[in-house]
Order: sequence, then structure tokens, then C-alpha cells
Amino acid sequence: MNRNKISIILGIVCLILSIAIVVQIKTIKGTSSTVAKSFSEDSLRDEVLKWKEKYDNETRNVENAEKELIKIREEITKNDTTASSKEEEITLNNNLLGFTNLEGKGIELTVKDDPNATRETISVVDDISNHIVHDGDLRRIVNELKNAGAEAISINDQRIVTTTAITCIGNVIKINDEKVSSPFVIKAIGFPERLETALNRGGGYLDWLNDDGIVTSIRKLDNVKITKYTGVISSKYMK
Amino acid sequence: MIFIAIIIGCIIGALIGINIPTIPYTYSGYLAIAIIAALDSVFGGITSTLKRNFDMKIFISGFFVNAILAIALTYLGEKLNVDIYLAAVIVFVGRMFNNLGTIRRYYVEKLTSKKIIAKAEATIKQANEEK
Repeated sequence: MNRNKISIILGIVCLILSIAIVVQIKTIKGTSSTVAKSFSEDSLRDEVLKWKEKYDNETRNVENAEKELIKIREEITKNDTTASSKEEEITLNNNLLGFTNLEGKGIELTVKDDPNATRETISVVDDISNHIVHDGDLRRIVNELKNAGAEAISINDQRIVTTTAITCIGNVIKINDEKVSSPFVIKAIGFPERLETALNRGGGYLDWLNDDGIVTSIRKLDNVKITKYTGVISSKYMK
Repeated sequence: MIFIAIIIGCIIGALIGINIPTIPYTYSGYLAIAIIAALDSVFGGITSTLKRNFDMKIFISGFFVNAILAIALTYLGEKLNVDIYLAAVIVFVGRMFNNLGTIRRYYVEKLTSKKIIAKAEATIKQANEEK
């Protein structure tokens, strides 16, 4: 076998090889992930991104449609007194049900887990569970706010509506089927002074929480913004 | 001569590779295993050249059949949810090291024999001068 011929063949093979290597490096560089464990993982990621995009588009469409609906209603009821009073009633009911974004005077309460509590810093007879915010704490705060005349309440932007349940699921809390965790920002619309004193009074519930090291702070605001309830209230069995 | 050809081939290949488009990410796993197979073939080719038993048919067929079989095994492993490509990688890389060992041995021996010959020649020269 001629040595030159061998060289040429090996050269051609190396040419193919280095083309492949460079293409491979370029391909790997183009993707965001460093290592894909399997090929299916890749397609799943792709699918998720596509669905997310679709979901965002649909949400935007719904918002636009709602705006249009309000505009049309206003236009129609402009010159009709009975219709306009009905319209007002509908708006009021929607506000009460939690289907609209609201603004108004109120308070913003922040409740945070005890930042200093570890197994070392608490005493032997103490329970570390006392130093974190539980679902029951939130329920009692909400109850206290309602008692003080709060007209609309939200926790971490989850609107408290008639069907809302506040439950514990492991290390987070579930409100309206959404997970929320500390720090909890509780917004309430109502008479600010009354809401504040209801929570802050001596022997009140925040007092109990503060004793356990849970950090709370209240701000009185002229313009509290509360977002609407995004879920669906079903009426299947009501008659 | 062989090494010059290999280096030239690599440089030209890299230049071409930079200018052509990339492949879909899904197939990059297959290309990777084909690259390993091709690398193994190149080392095998160099070794057989040094041993003077290089056969073009064996080399070319080995290059393609190895690569295709490795890709097919990877595909099968993908379907069976077993990482068969790992077996191909182990075999190819193991063979690469074997071939590399043979190449290294060849050049080290060549260098050592050259030194011994030079030493012998010097001794003979000295003996002649002493006469």
C-alpha cells in the first residue's frame, strides 16, 4: 500500500471528523441546557414553553374582552335610569364576589416567620413549630379583619372570596388552590384605624404571634390595591 | 507525512464546520457517538499504518460500519430506556487507548534504537582510531 495514498485517506477521514466535531460543539453551545439527560426531556421542555405562551395569550384575550364588556354596558345604560341602577348593582355584586380589582383606604399587614429561630437558639421545652406562621394564624387574622369591617382582603395577592379555604399543605399554605409562603402580605380595604386597632390591641392576636418571635408590621395606606379572584366559583348544586 | 495530512485535514474540516449550519439538538447525541467511532477508526488507521498492515477496505468499512452501528445502538437504547451508548463509548475509548499505546511504543522504540546505533557507531569509530 502506497504511503501517500494512506495519508490522503486518513486526511479525508480527519476532515469529516473535525467537521462533525465542530458542528457538534456549535449545536451544544446553542442550547441553554448543559446536559440533557434524555431526548424526551428536551421535547417536554419545548412543549411547556409552547403551552405557557398559549396560556399568556388567552389570559390577555380574556382581559381585553372583559374591558370591552364593561365599556359596552356603560354605553348601553347611559340614558336609562333603571338599567343604570341595575348596572350599579352588578358592579357592586362583582366587587363583593371578588371578580374585580379594587382600590381604597386600608392597611397592609406583613407577617413573617421568626428569622432567629433555629434548633440551637430556642429553649429545650420550646417547639420550633411555634416560631412559624401557620394556616390557623392566617385564618384568625382574616377573621379579625372581617370582624373589624374589612370589605376586601387578599393574602399574597390571593383574594379572599366566599369559597376561599386556607389550609396547610406541608411546609406551605394553600389559599384558593395556590401555594403561598412566608412572608405573608395581607391587604385589607376598610377603615384603616379600626382595622389596625383590631389587630394591634393588647392581648390581640398579633400580640400572641409577636410573643413567639413572629415578625409583624402594619402600614396604614390611602390606596390599597387588591387584585381580583382568578378562579371560578361553581354553582352546580345551588337551587 | 501521515501526521501532516491529518493536521491539514483537521484544519480544513474545522473551517468548513464553522461555516455550515448546526443540526437539530435532538440528533446531537447520535452525532456525538458517531464522532467517538470515527476517532477510534483514525487511531486504528494510524496504528495499522505503523505496523504496515493497513488495508483500505478494512479501514473504510470499519469507519462507516462502526459509526452506523454505534448510532443504531444509541437509538435502540433510547427506545428501550437503557443507556446502551455508554457501552459503545467504553469500547471505543478503550480501543483508542490501546492504539495510542501501540503508537507510543513504536516511536519510543524507534528513538531508543537510534540511540543504541549511534552509540555503537561511536564505539567502532573509537576502536578504529586506537588501531
